[in-house]
Amino acid sequence: MNAMSPTPSKKYDLDFARWVYDNVDGGDRMALCMQCGTCSGSCPIGTQMDHGPRKLFMMIRAGMKEAVLTSNTIWNCVSCYNCVVRCPRQVPVTYILHDLATVAVREGYAQATESDNARFGKAFWWSAAKYGRTDERLVTAKYYFSFGFGEGYKKGMANLPIALGMIKTKRMHLGMPHKCKNTGELSKLLKKAAEMEAKKHG
Amino acid sequence: MSERKTGVYLCGGCGIGEALDMAALEGVAKTEYKLEPKAHACLCGDEGVAMIKADVDGGVNQVVVAACSSRVMTDRFAFEPAAQVIRADLREKVIWTHPANDEDTQMLAEDYVRMALSHAPKVTLPEPWIDGEYSQRIMVLGGGVTGLTAALEAAGVGHDVLLVERSDRLGGHALEASRRLPHTPPYDKPEDNGIQALVETVQGNARITVKMGATVTRTAGMPGKFAVTFADGSIEDVGAIVVATGWRPYDPAKLGHLGYGASPDVVTNVDLEKMLARNEVARKSDGKPVKSVAFVQCAGSRDPDHLPYCSSVCCATSLKQALEILTVDPKANVFVIYEEMRTPGVAEELYRSAQKAGVIFIKGKVKSVGSDLTVTVADELVQEDVPLAGLDMVVLATGMVPNSTNPDQESSEKGAEQLLGDVDPEAPIKVAGYAGDAPADYARRDQCTPDGGSLLNLQYRQGPHLPVLHDGFADSHYICFPYETRRSGIYTCGPVRRPMDWAEAAEDAAGAVMKAVQAVRGAAAGAALHPRVGDLSFPKINLNQCTKCRRCTVECPFGAIDEDEKEYPIVNPTRCRRCGTCMGACPVRTISFDNYSVEMLTTQIKAVKIPDEFSGKPRLLIIACENDAIPALDMAGIKRNQFSAHVRVLPVRCLGSVSLLCVSDALSVGYDGVMLMGCKPGDDYQCHFVKGSAMAAERMSKVGETLKSMMLEPERVVQVEASIADSDRLPTVINDFVDQITAIGFNPFKGF
Repeated sequence: MNAMSPTPSKKYDLDFARWVYDNVDGGDRMALCMQCGTCSGSCPIGTQMDHGPRKLFMMIRAGMKEAVLTSNTIWNCVSCYNCVVRCPRQVPVTYILHDLATVAVREGYAQATESDNARFGKAFWWSAAKYGRTDERLVTAKYYFSFGFGEGYKKGMANLPIALGMIKTKRMHLGMPHKCKNTGELSKLLKKAAEMEAKKHG
Repeated sequence: MSERKTGVYLCGGCGIGEALDMAALEGVAKTEYKLEPKAHACLCGDEGVAMIKADVDGGVNQVVVAACSSRVMTDRFAFEPAAQVIRADLREKVIWTHPANDEDTQMLAEDYVRMALSHAPKVTLPEPWIDGEYSQRIMVLGGGVTGLTAALEAAGVGHDVLLVERSDRLGGHALEASRRLPHTPPYDKPEDNGIQALVETVQGNARITVKMGATVTRTAGMPGKFAVTFADGSIEDVGAIVVATGWRPYDPAKLGHLGYGASPDVVTNVDLEKMLARNEVARKSDGKPVKSVAFVQCAGSRDPDHLPYCSSVCCATSLKQALEILTVDPKANVFVIYEEMRTPGVAEELYRSAQKAGVIFIKGKVKSVGSDLTVTVADELVQEDVPLAGLDMVVLATGMVPNSTNPDQESSEKGAEQLLGDVDPEAPIKVAGYAGDAPADYARRDQCTPDGGSLLNLQYRQGPHLPVLHDGFADSHYICFPYETRRSGIYTCGPVRRPMDWAEAAEDAAGAVMKAVQAVRGAAAGAALHPRVGDLSFPKINLNQCTKCRRCTVECPFGAIDEDEKEYPIVNPTRCRRCGTCMGACPVRTISFDNYSVEMLTTQIKAVKIPDEFSGKPRLLIIACENDAIPALDMAGIKRNQFSAHVRVLPVRCLGSVSLLCVSDALSVGYDGVMLMGCKPGDDYQCHFVKGSAMAAERMSKVGETLKSMMLEPERVVQVEASIADSDRLPTVINDFVDQITAIGFNPFKGF
């Protein structure tokens, strides 16, 4: 999905709901949402969300584009898929939230690049794409230092006891990062996937 | 009737023989009534029936069966017309609701035998009223979907039809409508209109005479004998009338708060329907195409200042219209702003289709619609006010106003009062001794009474209008007897009765026609219509004693009794439903039926043996409506729910037929209390005769003063509401009443 949503800067956008239905991954199923709230009720981190999926979907229908794309709901989803499994209308809530997050990034909403989860997500993807594995040290380091050197150092020191504990129990290793066998093939694979995605959504 | 010969038959089956002293019961008939009873262990068996049949063949012309409830085994004890059948219930109301081999139970059974035998000599087999020619033709008023279907249904069962339409073309609203709501599986998309084909089928039917541009100026007569006069002076004889006058849209000029009039692009669903039918959906202001549109649901409906009711079809209609817009332009932005999406029955499938097609549903109330078409919604699920700006069109989903009056005519002076007065005809009346909670105060809602003249200009004492309910819909009981109006032989169907779509209206038309067919055939046979279907008795008035007080003519719920030029009551027998409300109203008891009279009731009341005050056994009379209260008591028996054996149940046709004399006689012979048990009165009445229980309540409200003057406590006479489902509640109600009366003490008139 790489189409731009209409009139990105507007607080209310009459066309936003229909655009989400037609363009966002799973948006066609979202059209069938009946606002039962099973998703928000099932969410293990619902307390960490400003709106929760149910209300977010209604805000989409109300055309509240800015509020939707600056919401932390789309970033705080941990992909547990509880909501997807339980939704009586088979709405793929998780896909929708993640895709809305990419919309927010693309359309340049500050929250989309500066929030904790956006930073962490970027670090995670960097490691996964580069090595085919997530390396705890590198992911955390990249995440911490995205806040700047001083802030990164502070965060790292604060978590030092946890890191030492993990090393002691062999949950984190020192030395070269783990890699998958053929990183070259992986990057080809990801490139192809990106091409297909771009083709699909034009 | 030739010389009366009464046979008495006691049944010992179903445990009656084991629970009661049958010899003592026989003794009652022998010693007190000089009749020779015959007992049988299973009276409804072939042997028992054969025994009675042999007696009937031998000249017995009145059969008193003391066995089970009169509501069961009617096919076994069917000896009429050769012999009249009188039933005494020893099963449901005695052994099933009271302990076996008990002194009080035995006294109860004996009293029921006394009640049956005492009034038997006064009962005669009714002879039907048949007089001259009866028309079998059915008039259908209204040529829309409902009326056209009604005409075809009536013709289909072999009756000639007079189809009357006030405009100059058949088809009604459907003519200007686009596609219709789905009515065939899978019910998920708008379907072809088909109105032209329906009109042509009607026009091609030889049994149907169509009268166009016609207005009824006068309707006189009664079922089987209606004479309908038209504005052109012609007079037609018809046997029954089906009113299918349909609906008109709510006046959008009253919807200024929803932006109507602020912009030409704020239209009603009726306007949009016409645009869709012509395939020309465009902005009225500049003719540009409609790319984004918002439907405002409940525009006027479910609003106490406009139409307090749900018009039932606007939700589905908006879904249909949204789908039609999306069929033309799949990229259109279609919003539906609703408070509750009401898609009864299969319309839910249409809702899913609309969701799949991308219609955007917003739950909330519209706060304002600006002249720039900005709709501000108080979004209930986001909990914020949301502006929808940049719309091309706003559609107000307006509701239905019933055509229970003719909007083309001025509201007539005569009858307007009746229409309004009848709007809340039986708003709950508080009674002095109301058992349980008295009905709550009732606020009259009259703003929805439609303007206009009467549809039929009925020549009834009750006025020219068809009675309506509070919202202006023609009076009928939605569930129990949907097509009945309070004017016998005149049936309503379609949206004049309640809001409904085409498919429902077509079914409704068939239902009303079946009632009309029953009416013309019943009238010709002298038989009653719903709910006493087939009853041949009719009220007979002894004019020698009549005081011209007019209470019978005023109180008849069906307008069956007119006044002649000398102001004497004159009965129109085929209008009569045989409830006996006139009989209960008459202060001089000069109205009676062949098989039902005040005298027959008081005879039964007095036949009960009242123990003296030293026995410790109170006697309470329960005057119970045959329609719901008696079945409920029977069901209490089937469930073996027990209640006090100190009560005596007297079935009546309707509480409306209970004369105050029944109550005063009961108290003067020593009953300690009287309970009237009948259906729910009020706007949501369950009374099968519409006003009967309300009339009883009104009469009883006046009994309190009389009781006080007799130095009796007003609490001795109560009225309770009973519904068919009350078999578990009624025993408690009865026992509580017995306790209450025992606490007050015995009736001091006992023994006088």
